[in-house]
Amino acid sequence: MDKEVAIIAYAQTPYEADVESSREMQVLQVTRAALAAAGLKREELDTVITANNDYLDGRTISNMRLVEPSGAWQKNESKVEMDGAYAALYALTRILSGDHDIAMVIGESQASVYGGYVPGIMMLDPTFDRQRWLLNEVSAAALQARAYMNACGVSEEQLAGVAVKNLDNAAKNPLALRAMAGADVRKVLSSRLLYSPIRELMASPLCDGACAVVLASGKAAARAEKPVWIKGVGFSHDSYLTERSLAEMGSLRDAARRCYGMAGIEDPASQLDLAEVHECFAHEELMAYEALGLCAAGGGGDLLDSGATRIDGSLPVNASGGVLAANVACAAGLARIIEAAMQIRGEAGEHQVPGVKTALAHGQTGLCAQENIVYVLGGE
Amino acid sequence: MVQNVGQNRVPRASIPLDPVFSWSVGNWMEQFFDGMKEGKIIASRCPACGRVYLPPRMICERCFVKADEWVELLDTGTVQSFTEAHVKAGKGGELEDLESPEIIAMVMHDGADTCLVARLEGGSAAVGMRVKAVLDPSAENVLDLLSCYRPAE
Repeated sequence: MDKEVAIIAYAQTPYEADVESSREMQVLQVTRAALAAAGLKREELDTVITANNDYLDGRTISNMRLVEPSGAWQKNESKVEMDGAYAALYALTRILSGDHDIAMVIGESQASVYGGYVPGIMMLDPTFDRQRWLLNEVSAAALQARAYMNACGVSEEQLAGVAVKNLDNAAKNPLALRAMAGADVRKVLSSRLLYSPIRELMASPLCDGACAVVLASGKAAARAEKPVWIKGVGFSHDSYLTERSLAEMGSLRDAARRCYGMAGIEDPASQLDLAEVHECFAHEELMAYEALGLCAAGGGGDLLDSGATRIDGSLPVNASGGVLAANVACAAGLARIIEAAMQIRGEAGEHQVPGVKTALAHGQTGLCAQENIVYVLGGE
Repeated sequence: MVQNVGQNRVPRASIPLDPVFSWSVGNWMEQFFDGMKEGKIIASRCPACGRVYLPPRMICERCFVKADEWVELLDTGTVQSFTEAHVKAGKGGELEDLESPEIIAMVMHDGADTCLVARLEGGSAAVGMRVKAVLDPSAENVLDLLSCYRPAE
């Protein structure tokens, strides 16, 4: 990018199935922690962007009561009703406008307060699919998984392999909800069958949590310790799920191409040191390998089998455990940005990958990953 | 992580939100439903690129024009994808076990470029399998006019 914008601080809550806290207190916790990490006062924030959802919160204009905990009182504030990775995009463009130097970006929701899979059903065509009650996030993802497996010769064992890798990584991440050190394929394949080929451990656990990122203009970031620069961003929006091929992630491929163009990435498999992808289901990680150009089309299963994407591989993917370890709607993609930044700064603790300089973060919104956004982040 | 020790320890207010929305299905879906009442599968077609939308869509997003041509399709098609459902979503959004599994298929009718999702009955499923729509023109609710797909002879 011509102008520079950096991540200068971040914070996450632990991800829990049913947290003993309110959404307001969770947002206050991460906002205060991110401000403290940035060495800033609330007064120094120029703009605040939150990601949340009226349906998930059970009230319209769901950002209204986040004015207090997000530090937005009497400030330039707005929200996106999508993943927090899009809230980061909104904040990024505000800073690039030249009108703002410091932005607070927050993603949050609490699955424990609403009926888990109802919001996904509410995304469906209301005049047909929604009311026939066959499709939901999991059954739609199962159709996507089968279409992809059939087109690319991927096996159920390979889907399970993604869950094994990520849940084993999650055991090194103290914030993760679902973790299984030493997980094996047999255990994943014997978990509850939901919609074939998707089993419980191949589906991300919906949970409660919040996360926050502080973005700063190049000028403001120059004063920060260990800024992580946004080298590129790209996003794309595909058709409704019955009107596109579910065998590939076309909009993720487009998003990656645009992002790589901006970031100067020509060979992602060799230029990236790590990726955090937003895999709501195990097969989506394999599809993302292909769409992100980490392997050739159809090579997702082979890339997994090669071990390259393991935490000790040549291009670790979801060293944090990814979204299979915790899925907070409106926060899961922003958490991928945080995890990528954390790795570049060398602050990932037990799941730190040595020597990460350039990392990719991916966020998605919609059924079968209808919309995708990709960031490339880099250190000094 | 111990399950269910969080907000369950404090009083919980159940806040029902059950509004009913009177959506107009629009002229395009009306043609689709009216067609099925006569045993016909009606789709819309983009005048610019010829893409055929089933269920009928009003706009071709690719050409950015109204998809206002109409075509009648055969009742046969091909399974693009399927899943064997062992659960269903309950009204509260939780996944409840089904007594016996059922197959949900994504079918592209011959001559269409988009898919319908419905149950597949009367056999096991495979991608690429040929199927035939079973219509119930007497269905009280228009949403039940397409009852299922069955393997094509």
